[in-house]
Formats: sequence, C-alpha cells, structure tokens
Amino acid sequence: MKKNIQMPKLSEQMETGVLAAWNKEAGDVVKKGEVLFEIETEKVVSEVESMESGVLEAVFFEAGDEIKVDEIIAVIKCD
Amino acid sequence: MIYIENNSTDPFFNFALEYYLITEKQLPEDQIFIFWRTEPTLMIGKYQNTIEEINEDYAKKNGIKVVRRITGGGTIYTDMGGWQFSFITKGLAETIDFNKYIGPVIEGLKKLDVPAEFNSRNDLVIHGKKFSGNAQCMLNGYTLHHGSLLFDTDFEQMVKCLTVDDYKIISKGIKSVKERVTNISEHLTKPIDTDTFRKLMVESIMQGSKAEYQLTAADLDRINAIAREKFASWEWNYGKSPKFNITRTGRFDGGKMEFKLDVNNGKITDCTIYGDFFGTMDIKVLSDALIGTTYNKESIKKAIAASGIKQGFYQINIDELADIIC
Repeated sequence: MKKNIQMPKLSEQMETGVLAAWNKEAGDVVKKGEVLFEIETEKVVSEVESMESGVLEAVFFEAGDEIKVDEIIAVIKCD
Repeated sequence: MIYIENNSTDPFFNFALEYYLITEKQLPEDQIFIFWRTEPTLMIGKYQNTIEEINEDYAKKNGIKVVRRITGGGTIYTDMGGWQFSFITKGLAETIDFNKYIGPVIEGLKKLDVPAEFNSRNDLVIHGKKFSGNAQCMLNGYTLHHGSLLFDTDFEQMVKCLTVDDYKIISKGIKSVKERVTNISEHLTKPIDTDTFRKLMVESIMQGSKAEYQLTAADLDRINAIAREKFASWEWNYGKSPKFNITRTGRFDGGKMEFKLDVNNGKITDCTIYGDFFGTMDIKVLSDALIGTTYNKESIKKAIAASGIKQGFYQINIDELADIIC
C-alpha cells in the first residue's frame, strides 16, 4: 500500500507552507513517528512525522519550496 | 504554569535553556514561562540565510552576537533595553494559536495603560508600530512560543546591524519583513525602568502564582554544554543556512573581479570567477581551491594559501581576496 504525504493545514488562513528541511531522503526506511520534514508557515516551524512505517519512495519538492495546502509532498510505500 | 527565573543575558545560554527543557529535561508541568533578555544580539529565524539578513562586519566590530533561533520568522535585534518571553507548552496544537500566548502579554500591558494590538503578522503594535515579534516551533511534542518586547532598545544600533551590504544573494530562505518599530517606554503614562517592567509583566502573566522551578547545577552543566556545542557554533548559526547563490564583486585600480558561488550546508559547492586580473590557469586553481571549502573567511584564506596562490594576484593579497569572496 502506498500513502501520500500532503502539506498539512495548520491554521484557518493557511494557504501555503514552506518545506523548510528534509530529515529523510528518497529511498530511506522510515518508522511511524519519525520526523520526515519540517515546514514553516506564519512564523511557526513544525515537525511533520510519518504516520506509517515503510520506505520513502518518492519526494516531489526540495527544501525552500513553497507548497499549497494538501499538495502531495512525498509517497511512502508502507510495510 | 511554572516560572523559571533566568538572569543570564547570554543568548546562547538562553536558547540552550529552552532547548534543554524541551529535548532533555521535560519537567512534569504542562507549561513553563521564562522572561529574559540579552546583550546586543541578532536573532535569526530558523530557516533564514544569516548573511542575507545581517551586517556581519558591523556586528563583529561592535561585539554583537549572532544566533539562530529554533522558531520560525525573521531576524530581530535585541539588547538589554528589551525583553524576551518564552512559553514552553506540552503537547502540539492542532492548529496554530498565537492568541493563547500573546493574550496574557496584552493583559499585562493594559495594566500599564499601553494600548497594544495584534497585527496580521502576529506582531504586537502600538498605533501601527511594532514593539513585539512572535514566532513558534513545534518540537519533540512541545510547542515553544517566543516573543520579543521592545522596551528601551537602541534603534540606531538595530538599523545598523540589519542594514545588509548590497550584494546579490539568491536563496529560498525565509525573508524578514521590515516594519516600523517603537519602544514601549515611549507609551507609558507613568515612567518605569526596565527591571520594574519585567517584575510587573511576570506578576501579571503568572497571575500572582509563585510556582517556580530552580535550575540545578546539573541542569546548568547541560545547558552550558548545549550553548557551546550548538547555539554558539558556526555550523548552527551560519552553516545551517538554506542553500544560496551569492555574487561578490571586488573593484581595484586595474579592473574588477567577480565570484558567483553556490553555498550548501555551509560549504562552497560551485564557483565561477570572472575578472580582469586572472589568467585561465589562475581561475582554475582558485575555483578548485574554493569548491568544498567552508564559507567563512578563515577557511577561505587557508584554502587559497594551500592552493599555491601564495601572493594573491598582482597587488591583491590573500586577505583582500578573502574579503571579496566572503
């Protein structure tokens, strides 16, 4: 099973967030609860954790990219 | 909520204190409040490009410290005429909430008859001029809220530190937003000094509670270690800047030289050199020497010296060359 990781909506007015940094690379094994990447929006830096265990199969953005809410950032191939 | 009295004015220590509380100490209380200040300091947002935000030469010459925060947002200048406040709260909010933390601060200011209001950037303003910036991070299951309060800050120094040299930098780092500023002390009906201001604000925010945690010697040891290893390090404050491209130009009697550099993780990853002074050989030797070098003056001087370009070029010595590049 594959699972999409999307840009979360962290506030009413949030339309986009900046993918501030990756903690994982494509191909990495990830465990549920591990931090995948950090985002910044409205002067708030948030860690985004993986909800699944598996392999980070694809990433579509790099650090510094501004991404719309709900847009797919990465795909995890679940265990 | 529990209060931690922190009288250190060392920004590295003060940021290490928060980091320690969130990542190591994890006190049982749901919320911690700290009210603190710093020696003259430039505080950079977590995902900003430091050299794009500050006048580094001015900061160095005037002993102004530079430190990267763990919260988002832009660069601020702080000094002993201002105060910082931190709320460290257990748990991660579903949605971003600034009101919860700024509300009690506004309440405290109201008691001093200061007409504070929120603006759209989560800053606090008096008659449209900013006196408080606010930012947060969600880390390790905690929400950290940071706010600054300009009480009697030296604005002349602030402007000088934040006026960046006019060279071209392209990066995806978070940009600072310049706003008009004001000091709280200018708006008080009854004048008070900075220490009285602190006392009144802490009393108001703690709502008279005396609940306090006192840092132990063991706490201080760890905090000092984190301050040294993380917050005072070049790697954190400069090296962690998002990748950027910078163009630096030097002009001399006989012509000009220009460097276009890509810097990633604090190291030069690509380098193109243009100039009237160079032969083809020189350019190759110099760019090879620079690629892979840490982007600071000391490392660049060493790399140039090691490349065999001992004398620099014509009348331009290694120090001058390094000044152009970095």
